[in-house]
Amino acid sequence: MARLLVQLKLRLLFNALRASTGAKVGFILSTIFAALVAGGVFYLLSTLGGGIAAADLTTAIFCAFGLAWLIGPLVVFGLDSTLDPATLALYPLRSRPLAVGLLAASATGAWPAATLIGLLGATIGLARGALGVFIALLAVLLQVLFCITLARFVTTALAGMLRSRRGKDFAALLIIPIFALYEGFIQIVPKLAGEGALTAASFGGVDLWLRWTPPGLAVHAIRDASTGHPGTALLRLALLAGIIVVLGVAWILSLRRAMVTTDTSTQSAVRGSALPFARYGLRGTVAARFWLYQRREPFALIYWGITTVIMVVVAIRAVLTPDWFGGLLASAAAGGAFVGYFHANAIGMSGPGFGLEAAALNGRRAMRAWFAGQNIAVGAIAVPLVTAVSFGLAAIAKHPMDGFLATAVGLAGIGAGLALANLFTVALAYPVEKRGGTPMPRPVSGHNGEAFAVWFLTILGAGVAATPVILAAVLTRTDPAAIWMPVLVLVGAAYGLALTWAGVRGAANVAEQKLPELAQIAIQSAL
Amino acid sequence: MGEPAIAVTGLRKSFGPKEAVAGIDLEIAAGSLAGLVGPNGAGKTTSLSMMTGLLRPDGGRVLINGLDMWADPPAAKAVIGVVPAEARLFERLSGEELLEYAGRLRGMVASEARSRAKQLLHVLDLAEDAKRLVADYSTGMRKKAMLGCALIHNPSALFLDEPLEGVDPVSADVIRRLLTRYVGSGSTVLFSSHVMELVEQVCDHVSIIDKGRIVATGTTEQVRDGKTLQQAFIDLVGTRAHDEEVLSWLGSSSS
Repeated sequence: MARLLVQLKLRLLFNALRASTGAKVGFILSTIFAALVAGGVFYLLSTLGGGIAAADLTTAIFCAFGLAWLIGPLVVFGLDSTLDPATLALYPLRSRPLAVGLLAASATGAWPAATLIGLLGATIGLARGALGVFIALLAVLLQVLFCITLARFVTTALAGMLRSRRGKDFAALLIIPIFALYEGFIQIVPKLAGEGALTAASFGGVDLWLRWTPPGLAVHAIRDASTGHPGTALLRLALLAGIIVVLGVAWILSLRRAMVTTDTSTQSAVRGSALPFARYGLRGTVAARFWLYQRREPFALIYWGITTVIMVVVAIRAVLTPDWFGGLLASAAAGGAFVGYFHANAIGMSGPGFGLEAAALNGRRAMRAWFAGQNIAVGAIAVPLVTAVSFGLAAIAKHPMDGFLATAVGLAGIGAGLALANLFTVALAYPVEKRGGTPMPRPVSGHNGEAFAVWFLTILGAGVAATPVILAAVLTRTDPAAIWMPVLVLVGAAYGLALTWAGVRGAANVAEQKLPELAQIAIQSAL
Repeated sequence: MGEPAIAVTGLRKSFGPKEAVAGIDLEIAAGSLAGLVGPNGAGKTTSLSMMTGLLRPDGGRVLINGLDMWADPPAAKAVIGVVPAEARLFERLSGEELLEYAGRLRGMVASEARSRAKQLLHVLDLAEDAKRLVADYSTGMRKKAMLGCALIHNPSALFLDEPLEGVDPVSADVIRRLLTRYVGSGSTVLFSSHVMELVEQVCDHVSIIDKGRIVATGTTEQVRDGKTLQQAFIDLVGTRAHDEEVLSWLGSSSS
């Protein structure tokens, strides 16, 4: 059974190279990234030395791998067929050999190998003496086994939930904190390390409680063996092995249950009985639909989360320096541009549901109402969001009044972004699909060119269109602020509204001519 | 026969070198419940998409109650309802919100759309699930929700693509009765299906399409020509026989 499932896993991995270009590139990039992580972590751990702070940092890294193995499989649940027991429930398999097989399949692939190779750096860095190295080898193997068993237990226990609509929504939303952590890591950690504010000593004391977690037990077993306490080291490893056995038993029990339990489906109802704003004509009706989607569609929530993270990341390095003003304005412009980008393929992203609208919408006026309704719903979230983040960043920079200037730029950026979004929705529409491993819709194979053009032109175009207001903000800054700042906000809002109005009219004119073609693109989307 | 409710002449569509619909002619009288049957890939869905304004034809004409679908799409689309083969619904709206939205898209006032949505959900046996998201609906429930969206503005012609596929017998009976009542009031239905028994039972007019061409059309009795519709269909379209001897092991319990 183990051999069969390992072969299945290898075949699935191999077949990724025969999939669409996008999937192939994703697989190759993931493998390269895994190799970089393996090499980087191995180098880092092997150069730490054997001090107290080194043990703290090693514990933090071991725990980070544990956390990654806990969260990662939840996000890529649909990607790895071997993670879902329902795919094997049709066959006459006993749970114990199945568990061994699934464990072996889990240990196959680039990421398990990256975990093992990376953590083996501890055998050079933290371990001292032959006994230390021997215990380190055991500890690393147990840590990898712990990571895999934990991931298996969690995905099996939650498999029913993850197959349900609500479970998929929850797993999708995990991408927001992961994105925030990633951006924070690549933006802040190198800066702090470069300034000498982040060293191995900075981790001193973090394992006061982490040492009692399973990864902490593995690390401190290595340290104990290396400092002449082999008995304590073995006791720690025995405790870790015991935890793995308990997790394994819990996993087998949940596997037995999962094999004979039907999927859970979400039975909850929505509140309210009517479409909001529907009494305000076709524009209000379309706005109501987009408004509900902003709240209920996970990828809409993800887009808002990512927009917020991008605004913060663009400014965070600058707001604590004398260059804070530039960071503030860049953040607001970026917020507006990304609001536009995330809505720049609205018909493709509406998916087959747009067929319902295309069968009913008639003429230019109806299409104007459709685009205006979308802009009203998006603007109702974008304007307060960009305003709040702008004022928040201005407050962190200790110049709260300059939030007005950033807001003015943000309003112009949102207007420009939405205008471009409307135009590209009809000019460069492309079908999208949801794939396993990513909660966000991706272009259907063969449409990556349109997707790239939409991204590039929307971000660039929104930035260029917001330039007059950016210049006005820079010039206004030297004037008595209390007088000019509110005026500039009004100017930014009026400019943004004018751009959006033009975008709606231009997009509606084109949409009227090619509504059947746009409907076919939307119908090709698989959401 | 007076002016047909649905008149199609010379309708054709190619995708690259493949000719999906090769110039079809069709006339459906008002008050008729017509079936369009054919094997997989025969051109049923492509034809219905062109008749309903969702796919631009390469040539030909489609008249709905005398309104030219491709010369004046707004006028023609206003008098039809469409139920596509695959769900084209907004999954993150509740059933009630979806039907109200469909009504509002058709220009109905909010109160009227809301009232009709409730009535349709009741008749379609979806009242108890009216507040659940469409994403949580079963296949049959989605079909019924789509039918509700197509009927809410009381169209004079209804186009349905495989309306009963994946629908349980109870729901199928609900849909069948609703369509019969709808046609009884003088409205027209054209639907595609693979299920010959269903077409034979409910349709008064049948057209058989194969390889993008109409190979037979007329009243159900005319097309059957004394046989079952299934047999008439196979006689016209031909069987796809394969050498089944290679499966000689099938049915053996030895391995």
